[in-house]
Amino acid sequence: MEFLEYVSRNAQQIIFLTTQHVQVVLLSVAVAAVIGVSLGIATERAPRLRRLLLAFTGTLLTVPSFALFGLLIPVLGLGLAPTVVALTVYAIFPILRNTVTGLETVDPAVVEAARGMGMNSWGRLRTIRLPLAWPVILNGIRVSTIMVVAIAAIAAAVRGPGLGELIFRGLARIGGANALNQALAGVVGVVLVALVLDLLFVLARRLTTPRGLRV
Amino acid sequence: MSDSFGSTALRLDSASPPNDVMIKLEGLRKRYPGQSTDSVRPLDMEIRRGEFVVFVGPSGCGKTTTLRMINRLVEPTSGQIWIDGRDVTHTDPDELRRHIGYVIQQVGLIPHLTISQNVGLVPKLLGWDKKRIEPRVDELLDLVGLDPAQYRRRYPKQLSGGQQQRVGVARALAADPPVMVMDEPFGAIDPITRERLQDEFLKLQQRIRKTIVFVTHDIDEALKLGDRIAIFGESSQLAQFATPLEILSHPADDYVRSFVGTGAAIRRLGLLRVGDLEGAGGGAGAGPALRVPPETTVYAALEQMLDAGAARLAVDGEPGAERSLSLQEMLAAAARGRQVPS
Ligand SMILES: Nc1ncnc2c1ncn2[C@@H]1O[C@H](COP(=O)(O)OP(=O)(O)OP(=O)(O)O)[C@@H](O)[C@H]1O
Ligand SMILES: [Mg+2]
Repeated sequence: MEFLEYVSRNAQQIIFLTTQHVQVVLLSVAVAAVIGVSLGIATERAPRLRRLLLAFTGTLLTVPSFALFGLLIPVLGLGLAPTVVALTVYAIFPILRNTVTGLETVDPAVVEAARGMGMNSWGRLRTIRLPLAWPVILNGIRVSTIMVVAIAAIAAAVRGPGLGELIFRGLARIGGANALNQALAGVVGVVLVALVLDLLFVLARRLTTPRGLRV
Repeated sequence: MSDSFGSTALRLDSASPPNDVMIKLEGLRKRYPGQSTDSVRPLDMEIRRGEFVVFVGPSGCGKTTTLRMINRLVEPTSGQIWIDGRDVTHTDPDELRRHIGYVIQQVGLIPHLTISQNVGLVPKLLGWDKKRIEPRVDELLDLVGLDPAQYRRRYPKQLSGGQQQRVGVARALAADPPVMVMDEPFGAIDPITRERLQDEFLKLQQRIRKTIVFVTHDIDEALKLGDRIAIFGESSQLAQFATPLEILSHPADDYVRSFVGTGAAIRRLGLLRVGDLEGAGGGAGAGPALRVPPETTVYAALEQMLDAGAARLAVDGEPGAERSLSLQEMLAAAARGRQVPS
């Protein structure tokens, strides 16, 4: 009950940080989606480069986030810039991976028939392959988003925006008044943000999956 | 370019010499990258306007490769392709394909587009406006035996395999291309539906008179559909290119004979029409006669005679021109057909 009291007393700050958290996550994922989908499409005729990119972006995921944020300080300083860059770097891999998979799993007979009717490669991409790959790509974006919601909490280490601030502040003065409640508020906030975004993705998937695929 | 092709379709209806060449392949050869032999050895072939040509041959002999060189889905290694007197070996392939109907075994309808959008695809690529596409789509669905009101708005997944292939055919015909190439279009369809589609397609072809190249590895399908059949051996070498009757009556060699299989003489009876048999005219002979119209095949007539226990056949005709044939006369006439290939 003490926790709820803490939350209600600090509601304004918590809401502000939550909003920031969501914003920085969505911004990073949006940038990553543009990069990931573009790379997935651009490397179609260069399978080696594509494998290389997948391996590279995949490896980046294994770099501990704390370390990556730290490494970016000398280049980008503190605050929003290193946060967005680091989160984007993490978010690229699932999106790129799913773009590749999505495009690969489009029924070749459909593409072949369209080619045989005189639809050029851009037309086939735009009217056939991307719409058919979209549910898979969207799933990649969803995975990235959920992952990055958690990582964004660490951004407070470089004075990034978001709920991480509550966690870091709380843990830094553990034992002090309301320290645990503060950290807990941050953690619960992160979990709730992840849950809500996940639900929104389920909805987005419903709304954007072409009707012919759902019948 | 589109104009020259568009006018082709019109010229088709007007008086054109029946024997002029629509598709001409000259020394057409294909060797896939990294292969040590040609998949298609230099091939020469002429296909006439409005002709229904069927390619048959064993698996891997290069039928698909040859077919796909006609619409340049496979680029020839050497040789030339002429369509309606124009060398299309090096023209823009997308533009070329918009004027060649293409049907494949897997159909390949676009799953997230409605039937109507699928059929209207090529007209849209050709820049037709909506007002022209909509009635055209309905007309085509009608043509392939699907009620537009019922099917227009459906998605491919909501259709059976046979219905999907009807849509595949409608889609290929959408922009009224003078030429159609079809790769085993009925190959994945159950035998009963396949036969229905074959019959319907034959009727359709009688109306639209497209120049058709059709691949199958079912010799019976070839004999049934083709005006002429090209029997391929290894690497698309032509073993024989002739009418079904000629192939059954005069197989070029043992390869063709074995490819056609047993029962050639019986199957020939399925191609001969009783109206074409020479036989005694007029007078009614002994025994009850079975009446049939002249377009009945000898095969069907014999079957009916056996069923009815009839020993004579009466062929309908203009009053006074009816003919009557005994079983003996029929068989003799059918055998004579063998000596005079058309
Ligand atoms: N893309 C390709 N790359 C290399 N070789 C190929 C390719 N496509 C076909 N081939 C080879 O060319 C030959 C002819 O193949 P094709 O598909 O034209 O045969 P087909 O007569 O259509 O056979 P089927 O009746 O099985 O469909 C085969 O030996 C095949 O292995
Ligand atoms: Mg084939």
